[in-house]
Amino acid sequence: MDYLATKYLRPRKIPSTACSGCGLGQVHKKVVKAIDELGLEIGDVVWGTGIGCAGRQTFNTWKGDNFAGTHGRVYAITTGLRLALPPDKKIILTVGDGDAFGIGFLHLLNCARRNVDMTVIVCDNLGYQSTGGQYGWTTPRGIHTDSSPYGNYENNWTSEGRDVLNILREAGATFLARHTSLQGQEAVESIKKAILNRGFSLVHMPYPCVTNFADRALGSRKPLVIYKWFEEHTCGLKDKGPDDFAFRTGIYYDASNTRPEFSEYIRNFVAEVQRRYN
Amino acid sequence: MRKTLDTGNAAITEGAIIAGCKLFAGYPITPATEIAENMSRRLPQIGGYYVQAEDELTALHVCIGGSLGGLKAMTATSGPGFILYADPMGWALGSEIPLVVVNAQRVGPVSGITGAPGQGEFYLSRYPTQGGNYETIVLAPNSVQEAFSTTVEAFYLAERFRMPVIILADQLVTDGWESLSIPETPEEIEAMGLKVIPRRIKEGPEFYPATDEIDIPPVVLGHNTGAACSDWTPTPEGYDTEEVDFQHKHAYRLIYKVRNHKDLITRYESYFVDDNPELVLVAYGSPSRVVISAVKQAREQGLKVGALRLISLWPFPDEIFKVQAKYLSVELNYDGQLVREIQRAVPKGSEVHFFGKCGELPTVAELEELMQALLTGKEIQARNWEWEAW
Ligand code: SF4
Repeated sequence: MDYLATKYLRPRKIPSTACSGCGLGQVHKKVVKAIDELGLEIGDVVWGTGIGCAGRQTFNTWKGDNFAGTHGRVYAITTGLRLALPPDKKIILTVGDGDAFGIGFLHLLNCARRNVDMTVIVCDNLGYQSTGGQYGWTTPRGIHTDSSPYGNYENNWTSEGRDVLNILREAGATFLARHTSLQGQEAVESIKKAILNRGFSLVHMPYPCVTNFADRALGSRKPLVIYKWFEEHTCGLKDKGPDDFAFRTGIYYDASNTRPEFSEYIRNFVAEVQRRYN
Repeated sequence: MRKTLDTGNAAITEGAIIAGCKLFAGYPITPATEIAENMSRRLPQIGGYYVQAEDELTALHVCIGGSLGGLKAMTATSGPGFILYADPMGWALGSEIPLVVVNAQRVGPVSGITGAPGQGEFYLSRYPTQGGNYETIVLAPNSVQEAFSTTVEAFYLAERFRMPVIILADQLVTDGWESLSIPETPEEIEAMGLKVIPRRIKEGPEFYPATDEIDIPPVVLGHNTGAACSDWTPTPEGYDTEEVDFQHKHAYRLIYKVRNHKDLITRYESYFVDDNPELVLVAYGSPSRVVISAVKQAREQGLKVGALRLISLWPFPDEIFKVQAKYLSVELNYDGQLVREIQRAVPKGSEVHFFGKCGELPTVAELEELMQALLTGKEIQARNWEWEAW
């Protein structure tokens, strides 16, 4: 990260205060690498975050302009910001799974419906970890957490035939992908495609939480244990994968630049109203 | 000058447009819906954007995002929507986002009656979000023309104080039809005593000075100034912090930038209060019009009564309650919200009484009966919750 960090990140914020061994740094690095490989400058990107581990650790790390919203609301803020900013400004959001797929899901779906140009990177630590380790909307069934001491009994968004990306596709998202933080350049390539799509893009990136998830679910805080568990549970989108639970990875849907983008559409619409009625 | 006959909703729309509003996001709710409809028609004509949000949380957050990007923004709602603004309102207050929020108060609690006026959000407008450590600026028009000027002023104060400004109207003001004069040139705007300032942009990464200073441009993203703002307690540069020292500085700023410049905000009207009246009626919004008529009429009959009509509600204008007298708070609610603030503000030896109506205005006759009774010390027949000696 050193070269990239010096170039793009604020020295006061790096290294971040994430627990040692946390996979969040890998996600963060991939996003910055994608920005770098696209040749974007600091002034080209406005970086937004939510709260939780992902929001807190990535807020204000970007050397350029930053904002953070309360839990789940950053998509609604971005809808307004998108209207105000020039179309070529990239808005990249690093948020958590509770933020995107729980409390903020209504906003997220409506941003997909409107096709608001933003790149949402969902940094998924498989539950609510910054509050100490409660189950969330991507926690596999049966997993023990502080709020599922007998094993998680809730249906979630990412297993047993359900995939949250299906819902987002139906809602109107134009680029969707999933990669774990352990994957390499293919994840960076997906993030690059997401940033280049002028429309709503989301990359779902599960990553290992060593402190809470690994401890309760796997009985060990040794990074190796959860990294191995991640590898065993990762497969391609079409693969059969393990029976109990899988992170299905790859580019899920790419309809980049095929649907009109929200702010562009409104701008043209307003210009047309002005032409016809003034 | 364009002269027309229209509603308070239309007046608020035109006021916003004159003030430079370029973004309205709202969620339909009676009786504020018409403001949204008017904005959806008017904004595109002047190159602005109307967004119909999926809920109130979105509405105010979209306004925050637009304002963060440099657009002047406004939203409008009624009680059940206003309470949902509690979440984004904290963000806007804490991050010092200039915008305007209209609340056309209706009868509550909860959904109550959609098309009847109420005044139940007086305190909610003072404390519209969690966490405390802030002051709000709240203005309350009592006519269609004033709904227009108050809106222009709200945008002006929002820019100068770098914060959301609330217009606390009521259904009779927003739905009522009256004559309306709309200025069309900068000279006409100035002649009306109205001021418009453009959005300025904060240069450099510094988010705030830990002082009570006003007229500091707000943070605007997208200009690559390294600007940062968030819902967390900020350092002066905008970094999130867990240090209590910074919390003190931030709270000081949010509270005292308003308190120490109260003279720029406070607006009221007074009637017959210079000759030490025995009884002073106090009201804001639409009931103040009945109060003023009743007091004028009572004076003609030789009763020594006066009236105070509040236009700015918060910060509360304690200093205008100068005379030691009996006070009567007239409100569109039954629980007496304004009455508590009056009690706190009046000089020692004063008495404070309350008369509440809900869903409809009090009548001049009702107020006359009360004034007579209070001046003569006559017992008044109990009228349930409408009348109470505090
Ligand atoms: S609690 Fe888990 S997800 Fe959060 S920083 Fe620590 S290891 Fe990472």
